[in-house]
Amino acid sequence: MAHIKVVRRSMRPEEWTDLRFGWLKRYIYEDKFEIENIKIKNARQTGENDYEFYPEGWQPLKRGDMYFTPDGTAFFEADVIVPEKFYGKELWFSLKTAAEIIVKCNGKYVGGVDPNRERILLTPYIDGNTALHFEMEGYNRSKPDDERNPESLSVRGCRQIFEGAYLSVINHTVLDLVYDIELLLDIAKSDSFNEDLRAFINRELNNALNLIDFDNVQTADVANAQKYVNDVIFANDDYKGNGDVALVAHSHLDLAYYWRRIHSVQKNLRTVLIQLRLMDRYPDFKYTHTQPQTYEMLEKYYPEVFEELKEKIANGQFEPVGAMYVEPDCNIPSAESLIRQCLYGQTYYREKFGKTVDNAWLPDVFGNSWVLPQILIKSGVKYFVSNKMSTWNDTNRFPHNNFIWRGIDGSEVYACVPPTHFITWNAPSSVQENWDAYQDKNTGGQTLQMFGYGDGGSGVTEEMIELMHRFKKVSAMPKTEHLGGSEYLHKNFDGNENLEKWDGELYLEMHRGTFTTKSDLKRMNRKLEYKLREAEIISTLKFLKGAPYPHNEIKDCYKILLTNQFHDILPGSHIHPVFIDTMKELNEIDARLESVIGTGEKYFNSLNFKREHLTFIEDADGHSERLGVKGNWVIPNIPALSSAEIPWRTFAGEWCEIADYITTPFYKIKFTKDGSIESLYDRELKREWTKGEFNKLKLYKDNPGVYDAWDILPNYKDTEVPYRIISPLKTVEKSSECAAFEVILGTDKSTWKRIIRVFRQSRGIEVENVVDWHEKHVLAKAQFDCNVLTREAVCDLGAGFIRRETHRNTSWQQARFEVCHHKWFDMAETDGGIAVINESKYGAGFYENSASLSLLRSTIRPDIESDMGHHEFCYMIYPHGGDFVSAQINNIAYEYNIPMVKADLICENSFGELFLQTMKVSENGKMIVIRLSEQNGKRGRIQLSGKVKVLNMLEDVIGEAQTLEYSPFEILTVGIEL
Amino acid sequence: MENYVKNVLAPKLQGDGGWIEFVSFEFGVLTVIFRGECSKCLILDRCVNWIKQEIKRDLGIDCEIEYVRKKPFFWDT
Repeated sequence: MAHIKVVRRSMRPEEWTDLRFGWLKRYIYEDKFEIENIKIKNARQTGENDYEFYPEGWQPLKRGDMYFTPDGTAFFEADVIVPEKFYGKELWFSLKTAAEIIVKCNGKYVGGVDPNRERILLTPYIDGNTALHFEMEGYNRSKPDDERNPESLSVRGCRQIFEGAYLSVINHTVLDLVYDIELLLDIAKSDSFNEDLRAFINRELNNALNLIDFDNVQTADVANAQKYVNDVIFANDDYKGNGDVALVAHSHLDLAYYWRRIHSVQKNLRTVLIQLRLMDRYPDFKYTHTQPQTYEMLEKYYPEVFEELKEKIANGQFEPVGAMYVEPDCNIPSAESLIRQCLYGQTYYREKFGKTVDNAWLPDVFGNSWVLPQILIKSGVKYFVSNKMSTWNDTNRFPHNNFIWRGIDGSEVYACVPPTHFITWNAPSSVQENWDAYQDKNTGGQTLQMFGYGDGGSGVTEEMIELMHRFKKVSAMPKTEHLGGSEYLHKNFDGNENLEKWDGELYLEMHRGTFTTKSDLKRMNRKLEYKLREAEIISTLKFLKGAPYPHNEIKDCYKILLTNQFHDILPGSHIHPVFIDTMKELNEIDARLESVIGTGEKYFNSLNFKREHLTFIEDADGHSERLGVKGNWVIPNIPALSSAEIPWRTFAGEWCEIADYITTPFYKIKFTKDGSIESLYDRELKREWTKGEFNKLKLYKDNPGVYDAWDILPNYKDTEVPYRIISPLKTVEKSSECAAFEVILGTDKSTWKRIIRVFRQSRGIEVENVVDWHEKHVLAKAQFDCNVLTREAVCDLGAGFIRRETHRNTSWQQARFEVCHHKWFDMAETDGGIAVINESKYGAGFYENSASLSLLRSTIRPDIESDMGHHEFCYMIYPHGGDFVSAQINNIAYEYNIPMVKADLICENSFGELFLQTMKVSENGKMIVIRLSEQNGKRGRIQLSGKVKVLNMLEDVIGEAQTLEYSPFEILTVGIEL
Repeated sequence: MENYVKNVLAPKLQGDGGWIEFVSFEFGVLTVIFRGECSKCLILDRCVNWIKQEIKRDLGIDCEIEYVRKKPFFWDT
């Protein structure tokens, strides 16, 4: 006899409750009137507020029609007369859609609908008019605001079915009960709450719903059911909760991600508008919104909404948070870029809202550099908020949520890393989960829960506020308090002497691939950071000679760069069109800065130390070639901040012997056929530098899974991808300064040309890489097995260095198998070591005596074509005696990264041993601002010829001095009055 | 047709996280590959019908479309 599996067919009581709850929701709308004369015009957005229209023009749109197009924007219009039956009633507009639609009625912005909300209150905004004219703009995309909303998942796709738009009247008795049940069912279904409480709720909800006859639903019965809920369920306080949770409304807005940055202008408008309308309805509702750049866009394109926003800021409901211009990646940008994020962000907030924001609000960034605390403190920021370490770490549980973060220079900020995600629905379960996960219950005060849909904006819903208003009715929940962001931070951190302290970088144990993905973006970013420095220094020195200072031009260029340092742009975690847009914008500012820099007769050394290391100078008649450009390798010998000619003198002697071994004044080298180095014997220091594979190209299968662009897994070395030698190593140059050897390697899909250069006058060994890259899921690294016994690698952070252990003793070191560095890393013994200096790479790995520089990835999500095609980049291996400080590795790295330009200028002061990070005209035009950075871990003083103003990083005068005392890794900003 | 798919249709689908690649156009049948978000789209047929309409309007060609979804391994469940 066949076995028949018994399937339970009867309905559990909880399912019966769910079913009736669904029926109840059908009665939320007391009445509806369909708007039937809607017309639609399809378009595609081409600029921040520019559109290319489809040729069909306006077309009628009826319920059941398809609407929206891939990456499409649609404009709608409709006229409707309010039916008499709705006179005197509270009037709503309702439209269920997967798109994001901004709605204007009779010329006023009345709100937005999207996958997370389907209605807008009209009555307060139509002044009693019965003739209504609707104008709507909608943007559709396949990725909904939040994938955790199952209802929005079901409607994703580029072509949608129009479900009709309506004038509606709400039955508030039904809606109130719906919210009560929503709240209680969330508790009943959550494992975070007491089992007996959940059974009690299930039992009593059943009893409450029994009071409604679903064959003939009457409002009076619904009211009775709600009374039952109040009298029996909410009135019961047998179940005691504990905890104290602050609820801060917020919507995370990715300026670009699965959408182009141009779309963020409308995403932001919709988000702001929705929150403003909620504030109209709920006077206690407060909302925090980051990124001055988004306010700037709103002001530029939607001034009427911006004016309304200013009113809500003035009354305290709408709160600008986050001092930085955008929410940037906080691993890759230079210290100066991070400072400018604060400077331009705070300047905007001050100008428009009269306030200096004292927090950095960076919930989604992929780890935070150790240089940040100092930059924040000196930019008026005392509080730092970021989520990812607590919710995304793959190996270790980050031990704090509310704590003090101590930076590289000893600066301290209050840090809040909330225990749960920054996108929550504000349901009882998420509040309870937050409290349960909170690790600083005894020391940190309240725990922070952000609520609101995010990523693509949209924010808080009516439902979230309604649920929040009911939290106090549930004795089993933690105590909750709705606060603004700043309010929360001040309340819980100010004067709190119990806080624990974290001294070090805030490394995210995840998203390690973002140091490498989209190699070209990183290269342009590095180039432009230094080009902006060059442009400002040259412009300032020209200004002092009487030329106008191109303040707006430089600021414009800076803002474009800063915007493109957003944490889903620079890290590479975005769709293909974002990459295209960004490269276009970066190339444009490259050309603009070229014009700002201009030219001259002589070469200008913008560094505040003598340029005395070998440099490639472009020259069409040059004797060498680098990256396809002719030029000469010369030692400029130009003093700090000075101009000089660079004469070329041919060295007549024999300096490089090429045989089985290559012998230079510094080394005796044995290459393998693939261009890696089998032996690197140092003739000066009399030691061998290699111990294993050295300068070896390594290709690994790189399959991190769905977070493809973001992650590298710890097992990435498991499978190597073989490559072959297409053209074995051969000599391609032997000039009076340089000898170069070329090898071409390849797989079935890609070719990789490496040119290794050795020099007569430099210990550096440069490796040029020209790659035609067509792999899928392959990570390319250069490996250096060094004959160095060390337990730490030193990594440049751009304004100081960090020592990272190279062993894997504990899970903390194990998790850091791939880390971010800037211009160089160094592995050394006390009397010598090896530095690897790069001009565009950020990812590196260390294990025992082995270091690896990450070169290229080939991911397919979110961008199918990520990193495909042609790449050119260089790095330099720099063995040295002594430690990296005495070997001047940092200075050499600056010389390697900052190309010589022509300008006939001189500056009398070179500012001692500190690095001249910036010289510019102040934002108010009244001072020359000079920023100096201590990068070698030393303290000292600079005696100046006269008194200067001591400034913070916002260029506020905070003192006066003639002698500048500095401590390790300190960044000093001074102003010289004009 | 190949240029149209590459230069007109592809940028639009890419803007939504999708991807379309031309394979062939023979005997009135356009064959394409869908990748990215398109590869797992539950309502891709709607988009395919839209592509047919666009081709008809812009190129004046009535065509059938055959397509292959190339879903990455991490979505291959």
